[in-house]
Amino acid sequence: MLNGILPDQIFLPIKNKVGFSSINEIRLRANKPIILSIMGQKFFLSENGRTRSLNEAIIASFSMIEEIIFRASECSIYSVNEQIKKGFIVTPNGVRLGLAGNVIEENGFVKTMNTFSSINIRIPHEVKNCSLKAYSSIISDFGINNTLVISPPGAGKTTFLRDFICQLSERNLPYDVLVLDERGELNIGNGLGNFADIISFASKKVGFENGIRSLAPNLIVTDELSEWDDMEAIKYASNSGVKILASTHSDNMESFLKKFAFKEIIDEKIFKRFIVLSMKEGPGTLEGIYDENFNRIMRW
Amino acid sequence: MKWLFLALMFGLCVFVGYFFSMKYKKRLNFYSALILFAQKLDVEINFSRERLKKLIENIDEKTKKNLLGIDNNFLAYLNDNQELTYELLFKNCNILKQDEKEMIFLFFKSLGRTDVIGQTKEIQNFLKRFDDKLNKCLSDNKKYGSLCFKLGIIAGLFIVVILI
Repeated sequence: MLNGILPDQIFLPIKNKVGFSSINEIRLRANKPIILSIMGQKFFLSENGRTRSLNEAIIASFSMIEEIIFRASECSIYSVNEQIKKGFIVTPNGVRLGLAGNVIEENGFVKTMNTFSSINIRIPHEVKNCSLKAYSSIISDFGINNTLVISPPGAGKTTFLRDFICQLSERNLPYDVLVLDERGELNIGNGLGNFADIISFASKKVGFENGIRSLAPNLIVTDELSEWDDMEAIKYASNSGVKILASTHSDNMESFLKKFAFKEIIDEKIFKRFIVLSMKEGPGTLEGIYDENFNRIMRW
Repeated sequence: MKWLFLALMFGLCVFVGYFFSMKYKKRLNFYSALILFAQKLDVEINFSRERLKKLIENIDEKTKKNLLGIDNNFLAYLNDNQELTYELLFKNCNILKQDEKEMIFLFFKSLGRTDVIGQTKEIQNFLKRFDDKLNKCLSDNKKYGSLCFKLGIIAGLFIVVILI
């Protein structure tokens, strides 16, 4: 998955001693030890695999970080500058690299980023059937309920959305799904089934408008709602009669309800179901499902 | 037997002259191809933002031939996750001087490392330097290219006359 992107010094110990399937995140900070996040626990990376000993840890350097970013951009930083401006790069097989470094601003707009000092590599996982427990509350006899998946970062929102799209396809449900893959993280691995059209790297506003007009979807799936523009896009889709499955960052239902940007769409009861995930028993732990009045309709 | 030997000696001298004159021609073709290559990169990076590997793979055959394998060596570096070195980039390329190698090495090393504006400015700067080199190659080729060939013929004839 990260072959040809990570230097051998990092790639080989992970491949041979740890295994990419068990890792959620790899964090590199310049002149600091490389950290692996495995099932919510942190380890240092050493030549012999994972370790708790700082002395054995492999230390990341600025040049190492720069080379990884260069390789992740398929040796063409200029081609991913729009992503870099937003603070990430997505590799062709859907691995997202979050970036930190010096941001160059001009007239209030981010021009680019340089002198990269940190990378957070998020390893995507395909967890088959992880959306099944919530499936019956999203799909009813009357069709699909507009649903928002809520969880803290790294708790499995994207994996949930990806699995749900595949479940629709496996059941041959005749829904035309438009996947608005703003960060290129949804459409990875074995694809998204037979009924999905994918618009990648477009903002939600542009993606929703173009997609609804040209592809006439029944359902739009999108990741990480956060800004005012996203809410406008959601309202536009809802008013156009298109169903929505989306996700957003929040620790739990209480903190989600405090998010000001969502106030209007909550008041208008656009979303009929809220699915809350947590890290309690590892990523993807289903905490509860709520209806549009925030009554818990399922609990685990 | 004597005449055959004389013909061989004459042929050898002409070949040596031709070999040296071709060196000037090759250098001229190389810089023309390098400028074409850099201009193509400049345009494509500006408009299509296509990935470097794809751009290099799509160079036309004539330019590829005149680049003396440098494009393929660079492609190998891009594909194989290895460090870019002089040895790798200039493998099988022996017509360039050390300062030229340094300049071309820096050019290839700068590719793909910055955003579009930075990248195109970098290419433009190198294009100016490549243009200077091309002009020098043009005058060298005019001056010494045909001279070497003619000298080869004259030397051949001279040896033949002496041996007769």
